[in-house]
This record gives sequence, structure tokens and C-alpha cells, in this order.
Amino acid sequence: MSQLEIRSVSHWFGGLQALKDVTFDTHDEILGLIGPNGAGKTTLFNVISGFIVPTSGEVRFNGKAIHRLRADQTVRLGLARTFQIVKPFASLTVEENVLVGLGMPYYPTSAALYQRYRTRSNLDQVEQILAKVHLTDYRSAQAAKLPIGLLRRLEIARALATHPKLLLLDEPAAGLVAQEAEELAALVRDLYAQGLHIILIEHNMRFAMNLCHRIVVLAQGEIIAQGNPTEIQNNEKVINAYLGQE
Amino acid sequence: MLLLQNLSNALILACTYILMAAGLTMVYGVLKVLHIAHASVYTVGAFVGVLAFTRLGNFWVALAIAMFVSGIFGVLIYRSTYFYLLNSPRTVPLIASVGMFVMFTDLLQKPFLMGAYQRAFPAGGAGLPAVKTALFSFTAKQVLILLVTVILLAIVYVILTRTKLGLSWQAASMDRDMASAVGVNLNQSIAANFFLGSALAGAAGVLVGVYNNSVFATMGDLPSYKAFIIIVLGGMGSLPGAILASLILAIVENFLVASIGYVLPRDSIAFLVLILMLMFRPNGLLGRE
Repeated sequence: MSQLEIRSVSHWFGGLQALKDVTFDTHDEILGLIGPNGAGKTTLFNVISGFIVPTSGEVRFNGKAIHRLRADQTVRLGLARTFQIVKPFASLTVEENVLVGLGMPYYPTSAALYQRYRTRSNLDQVEQILAKVHLTDYRSAQAAKLPIGLLRRLEIARALATHPKLLLLDEPAAGLVAQEAEELAALVRDLYAQGLHIILIEHNMRFAMNLCHRIVVLAQGEIIAQGNPTEIQNNEKVINAYLGQE
Repeated sequence: MLLLQNLSNALILACTYILMAAGLTMVYGVLKVLHIAHASVYTVGAFVGVLAFTRLGNFWVALAIAMFVSGIFGVLIYRSTYFYLLNSPRTVPLIASVGMFVMFTDLLQKPFLMGAYQRAFPAGGAGLPAVKTALFSFTAKQVLILLVTVILLAIVYVILTRTKLGLSWQAASMDRDMASAVGVNLNQSIAANFFLGSALAGAAGVLVGVYNNSVFATMGDLPSYKAFIIIVLGGMGSLPGAILASLILAIVENFLVASIGYVLPRDSIAFLVLILMLMFRPNGLLGRE
């Protein structure tokens, strides 16, 4: 069974159709979602992660329809995401940012009122997650003071804290220098090797082509191609709509 | 000695400001809405408190009932109004809030509720002793206000800094979308925030009612703008800022009145302080943005 099934998803913003009958499945893979600006990639992420209810169509995650669920409900099912523009909880420390993710799957319960978030077991989990994304040294740093490369890692750490089965990364390499992008790619590969499935939106073609097993290309809200990176790089429609001739 | 006594009086005045403004700033922190109708919750708290005290004769039980009812009232305001306006421009919930405040004040004046007259709230110091030293003194009522404020602030502090709920408020106050993306149930979290903030306002209403031995339908008028001034002075959404601003405002009010008398109406001093603050530090004392 596919992990994520997207079936005939369309979405309108007023008179503008952002997604047109988008259909694809994801499996055990790192899937890339590419396309020119305004293609509908982030809108699709918003639909999958519960920030937008699609005008029509259906999204299923492990067989369960999720397209009408709120974002926090999709998180509890094991679907986590990051954002194109990093959104740290700026005045919290790195550790506290991760603790927010760790604490929340217990909602909604009245226990939240007296349950402490800084417990030994939570702090142990934070330590493991920070080690995984190589942020251990910045544990006590205020998130607002981190450079962009570390903030991207923090976003991933916070998403990992929710114990996801599928991770959606929205332009994870944006703003990173080549060295940082390579380190991030290694991290994504590690996460995949540990059993996490990943969908990522990316404009950095080298990053996406080297990392992804399969790529779906969106243009003007519809899928124009899908296949492995080699097929995509040689696809005429994709070259005309997005990659261009080199 | 006079100086210390003035400071003691200012401290008590500040306590009533703090409880009122703390709830308002907590709500602003998460919702980014100026919840003017918070003053109605304050009045309802005082009203329920005096009713409960009259029937039960126990101040502490009356206070608990008033806080609980105020909390529920606040949650109902959120669920019936702000919930539907979360993604509207900020002026929309602000206008709704002013409308609710006017409506509730009017409703409370109806004969079947509080009516147009004042009710006495003769709880005194609820059995607490007065404190007298060589340098300053507190009446039993003042001791009561100080004690209740310290206890409630300690509870709020623990919830904010130690519990999952408090952490969810901190996260939601910084970025609601992101909080939601890491699993925070915003509906639950905001409703709980309203409950606690409104319970504090209810406690403030009860304490002021007891202190002045008077509860009336329009008693929220003054706190409606005083609390607003305090959260602007403190920095919108900052609880420590609201506490600091309450203390400063109460001290300024007390000392100006004590030193130059009522040249200015006491409550206009708050506006003067606000204007000066906006000129020199527009983000407030501890404001982030």
C-alpha cells in the first residue's frame, strides 16, 4: 500500500487555480517535488499537512483520509513538515524548540496542565534528536541567534520530535552554501536510512537530483512529469517548462 | 516612613492592575487581539463573587466560584466570536471586542442581572490579619489582595514555565502556524489560555469589589482602558512587562497624587505615562516588536 495517496486534488484561491487534478502516490523513498515558482508545490504541501482544505480531491495517509484534518491532527498521525521560510520559536532555546514538538502529541488532555515538559525522558529524547541533526553544541542557544544553516537543522529536529513517519521538507537547501547543502543531503539520507520517508520541495537541482529517488514535476498547478532523476532531466516538457536548455 | 507607606499603597494598587492586565496580555500574546471585553469578564467575576459570598458566606469559596465562572465566560467569548475571526484583519476582532464590551455592560445593568445600583461586598480581609510595622502598614484587605495576587501569579508562572500547556502558549504566541505544525492543538490551547486569563480578571474583579466594598455593572469601564495602557507600557504580550508596568503606573499614580494632590484626575496620569512611553520607547518596557 502507498504511504501517501494524493487523488485528483484541485485547489482554487478565489479565481486562481493553484492545483489542477494532482494525483500521485508515495512509497518507501525520498521524493522530490520540483517546478517553477507559482507551480503549486507549497500549496500541495499545505494541503497534505492540513493547512489548507483542498477545493476537491482526496489525500490519504496510510489509508486514512487526512484532507479535512487540522495540521495538529496530521502531525499526530505521523506527518511532519518544515517551512520554506524558517520559523523557529525565536525566543526559545534550541532545546525548548524541540521540546515543543515532543510535548504536543499528548494534546488534547487536561494532563497538559500539570505535565512537566522538562522531564528526564523528554530531555534524553531531545539529546538524541539534537545529536542526529548535529545540533548538540547549540542546545542552550537562543533560536533567534542561529545562522540559517543551523535553523534549517533545527526545523528538522523539531519535526523529528513529533515522531513522524513521513517528513515534508519545503526547500530545505534554500539559503545554504554548497558545503551546508551537502551536509544537509547527508542528514536527509541518514533519516531515510533510519526508516523515515521524505518528500522535499527544492529549487537547487543538483541537491534534488543527487538526493531523490523519484521526482514529480509541477507546472501551473498540474503534474507535467514524474520519474527518476535521469528521466526528469531528459524530459522535454520539464526542460521547456522549468529546467531550460544548458 | 511616608515614602514606604506610599510604596505599600502603590503595591496594592499594582496588584489589582497586574491581575487584570496579566489576563489581557496572555490573550494578546496568543491571539494578537486586544480583548477589550476582558473588562466585562472582570465585572462578571465581581458579580458572581458577591453573589456567591452573599449565599455561602465564605470568601475563598466565592473567589474560586467567581474565577471558574469568569474562566468559562472567557472561553465562551473566544468560542463564540474570536474563534471565527482568527484569520481576519486585526481590526475585525478589535471591533467585535469593543462591541461585546458595550453589550455586556449594558446587559449587566438590566434589573434581572446587576441592575443600576451598587452592591456591597463585605468580605473584609477574609479573616486575614492586618500588618503593622514601624515603617509601613497593610490593612487586612490589603494583605488579602497581596496574598491572592502572589499566589495566582505563582500559579501562572509555574504553568507558563513548567507545563506543556504553558510551552504551547509560548510557541503559539511566537508563530501559530508553526505551533500547529508541531502538533499544538490551537483550539484547545487558546481556549485554555482564555480560561486562565479570564479567571485572573475575575479574581481582580472580586478583589477590587472587596477592597472598595462595592460591585456595580459599570465597574469594568476604568479597567478596560487602564489594563490596555498597562499592556502597551509593558510591551504587548509580555507578562513580565505587564507586571513591571503595573508597578510603575501604580507608583507614579500614588506619588503624584500624594505630592501634588488631585491637580490632574488620577486616572489621566496613566495616559500621560502612556504618551511619554510611546514617544521614547514605542515597543514598551519589555516589548519584542
